[in-house]
Amino acid sequence: MLNLLLILPIIGAIIISLLPSEKESNLNKNIALIFSSFSFIITCLIALNFDYNNGNFQYQTFLSWLPFLGLNYTVGIDGLSLPLIILNGLIVTLAIYNGETKQNAVNKPKLYYILILLLTTCVNGALIAQNLLLFFLFYEIKLVPIYLLISIWGRDKRNYAAIKYLLYTAFSGIFVLTAFLGLNFLTDGNSFDFDKITTQVLPQAKQILLLLTIVIGFAIKIPIFPLHTWLPDAYTEASTPVSMLLGGIISKLGTYGLIRFGLQLFPDVWGDISPYLAILAVITAIYGSLIAISQTDIKKMIAYASLAHINFVVLATAAGTPLSILGAICQMFAHGLIVTLLFHLVGIIEEKTGTRELSKLHGLMNPYRGLPFVGGLMILAVMASAGIPGMVGFVGEFLSFQGSFSVFPVYTLICLIATGLTAVYFVILLNRVFFGKMENKTGYLPKVQHFEHLPAVILAVIIIFFGLQPSLLTNLSLTTSNSIALLSN
Amino acid sequence: MDFSGQIASLLNASAILPEAIVIVTLLLVLIIDLIFGRKSVPWLPYFAIAGLLASVIALFYGWDNPNPTSFLGSFTSDNLSIVFRGTVALSTAITILLSIAYIENTGTSLAEFVGILLTATLGGMLLCGASELVMIFVSLEMLSISSYLLTGYMKRDPRSNEAALKYLLIGAASSAIFLYGSSLLYGLSGGVTNINTITATLQAGEGLESLGLAIALVFMVAGIAFKISAVPFHQWTPDVYEGSPTPVVAFLSVGSKAAGFAIAIRLFVTAFASVTEEWHFIFTALAILSMVLGNVVALAQTSMKRMLAYSSIGQAGFVMIGLVADTQAGYSSMIFYLFIYLFMNLGAFACIILFALRTGTDKISDYAGLYQKDPLLTLGLSLCLLSLGGIPPLAGFFGKIYIFWAGWQAGLYGLVLVALITSVISIYYYIRVVKMMVVKEPYEMSDIVKKYPPVRWNMPGMRPIQVGLVFLLIATSLLGILSNPVVTIANKSVSSSLVLKASLEARINNISATEIKTVL
Repeated sequence: MLNLLLILPIIGAIIISLLPSEKESNLNKNIALIFSSFSFIITCLIALNFDYNNGNFQYQTFLSWLPFLGLNYTVGIDGLSLPLIILNGLIVTLAIYNGETKQNAVNKPKLYYILILLLTTCVNGALIAQNLLLFFLFYEIKLVPIYLLISIWGRDKRNYAAIKYLLYTAFSGIFVLTAFLGLNFLTDGNSFDFDKITTQVLPQAKQILLLLTIVIGFAIKIPIFPLHTWLPDAYTEASTPVSMLLGGIISKLGTYGLIRFGLQLFPDVWGDISPYLAILAVITAIYGSLIAISQTDIKKMIAYASLAHINFVVLATAAGTPLSILGAICQMFAHGLIVTLLFHLVGIIEEKTGTRELSKLHGLMNPYRGLPFVGGLMILAVMASAGIPGMVGFVGEFLSFQGSFSVFPVYTLICLIATGLTAVYFVILLNRVFFGKMENKTGYLPKVQHFEHLPAVILAVIIIFFGLQPSLLTNLSLTTSNSIALLSN
Repeated sequence: MDFSGQIASLLNASAILPEAIVIVTLLLVLIIDLIFGRKSVPWLPYFAIAGLLASVIALFYGWDNPNPTSFLGSFTSDNLSIVFRGTVALSTAITILLSIAYIENTGTSLAEFVGILLTATLGGMLLCGASELVMIFVSLEMLSISSYLLTGYMKRDPRSNEAALKYLLIGAASSAIFLYGSSLLYGLSGGVTNINTITATLQAGEGLESLGLAIALVFMVAGIAFKISAVPFHQWTPDVYEGSPTPVVAFLSVGSKAAGFAIAIRLFVTAFASVTEEWHFIFTALAILSMVLGNVVALAQTSMKRMLAYSSIGQAGFVMIGLVADTQAGYSSMIFYLFIYLFMNLGAFACIILFALRTGTDKISDYAGLYQKDPLLTLGLSLCLLSLGGIPPLAGFFGKIYIFWAGWQAGLYGLVLVALITSVISIYYYIRVVKMMVVKEPYEMSDIVKKYPPVRWNMPGMRPIQVGLVFLLIATSLLGILSNPVVTIANKSVSSSLVLKASLEARINNISATEIKTVL
């Protein structure tokens, strides 16, 4: 079942590549949509049949692949990867759907959908791989599709943003690979399988060194200050669906790696570096929020907001208590939904008004000439992002902060300030863009069709649903987060 | 009767059956061309390819030869040599496939080209198994002189002439230096030329000889580093690559290099066993210089062939990690990487040849927007370049990770880190080409691509390129994922080699000794 998640998108990509014509944009899209929704349905089936009282890996498959490298095809799923897999299936499907209209129809549709489907496989693969080299393999493959997705279908400065992204991520890969190789040889293992590696046999200094390498590798990916400079460029220059993917799911690979290969592999020395990690997370959160306040481009504002919010996950991971790990997982899920929704709405606004500048947008709530429904969804997304109870964002943030408070009380309080700042910049955004008087010269904006905001509605429904029923979300990962967390705390 | 039987067993001529097949093919090619004349025998290149494939099959049957020594010890047909000889022969077979249209397009004789190429192959194959100083030198020269001829094959093209002259001058100098090094070795050992027995006599008289031995080592390294184009003996590479006919470059970058690495393993492990530390040190320096310089300078290239020249220098640096590691995994990762390199590099050259045939240029900027006009060529070149850059799941990724793994296992942390960082740099320039082809919008298309002829495969000489390209692409995409059998063969060839056995055992003892030290 799990293997289907890897195979299905590839089959889809092959079918699209065999289609005769480049012109048939719709056909390409529909096939991509069919295959991505199939894999989403499979993730849902997996979630239904998942044994929630078992903290170990489930649905495991083991195939010996390249024994001379210790690289085996070992996949499995646990409560940490399950929510992210579901998120991936959902976001990819929505990004492919993305309410395409005549104006934003993609050129070179064939290549575009092939790349997105390949990307799906890579992300799924990285999330279910239980072999370090297998993880690294998927982690590296996704580099090329994302690079091309940004640099072909991006905005004006796309080449610069794409190359920057490529180099940062490639270096992130090097750090991760170095650590994995070191891990394998220092612990004298002949296999890179996750459950066969124990770091406890190592001297403490070596453990810290390896952990540091891993943390730096994933810190580039998450990103954590001061390694974040690729993020605003990549997020803003990418087209709307690619931004949705980048912010929604790709950024989770970093935090996933941090928990899986940092915290879970190095329980002994995690406490030695976690305070520094927490400091950096807090700095990034505050920094991201402050920069977001000063932005004039709404997409960039959301990019920085996403930077700030993903670092709540880092703080919670650093704390490592059972509650905070649960919070981290929920926050990843929530962050994925909310950021995707925000990017999608910004995409609609940009398409309808032709600009993303705060100074040029006024009074879009105008019921006749504006975009009232988009405005309503935007208010909901912003509230979710600011952590208003009743939305999924609240669940993640509350659990994260509650769990971290016992370990890092000061940092947690500072992070609370950062959530306060969220309200500041989003109120600025709402106030400027949606409220106030709409200038007469703007005229009537084109109506938003129902199919265009369908993804936003779906996301909004899910955000509210899990906000009202958080136990459904927490049950997915409760057992796993308890077993991952540092018991010494 | 008894005497002749003894002679026959000493000669053990069956060991060079694959080479004999190549010789017969070579003679037949020349004779057929002589009798029937130019243009009348269109199947001649295919005949040569068949001969080479027959030679590969003969190599296959020579696997696990119980009595590998032949010609009184001057040639060893052990599994190690078989792997390398197979690589050389295969690279030539594919090169001929790619060169048919190219050579015919320039109006020169194809049969002579094939003849010289087969001679070079013969030299390369003999070099892979040579285990006697004179034999090494003769086969090295055979390979080199044919290579000079090949680089100058386009005699009306001034760039080809320039390349040939440069290659000849630098090559002759490096051969002379190599010869001087071997003469020193000959003197120091008291007249022994067999590299397997030379160590014993060298070790017997220690002390005064060490300086002489060091000089001999440096000279011979210089000679071989020239062949594998390691920095700082690389200056010829970019010019020769740029000027020579592209199929020749394809052969030089794969076949000739594989032969160079084969003799490097054999020579240094046996003859210089007493100065292991020293040659490790030299090759570490060469590897670092090659990786850094090759990959950094490649960034600034505007010509595709020059870029691939520098990339091949960098790739040689990666392969040298396996040599420096000097372990079972190190050698087999070298063999594995060279084998994979054969497919991905020839694949890249196949695409360049195809592009040059259709447009007559090899500037990187001329590739802009090719995706719209020729998706197959774009896909092929992208796959091969990404594989060279080490992007999974292509073959190059597995080759690289195996080499890094072996290097790391042998404790070469610094070297592997340099390799990792330079491989990121290499991704940048490989993907630059991919970007040029795929990302550019129709209005950014280069003038050359705008006038790109419609893709037609039924023109003379195109079909072989298509077949070769598709074969290379399949190998590049799948050989990494299904690399288990190849690595098993590489491992077996290393472990069964008597030449490496002693060295590897000494090395294992050495490692375990140091490990004990660190534990204590």
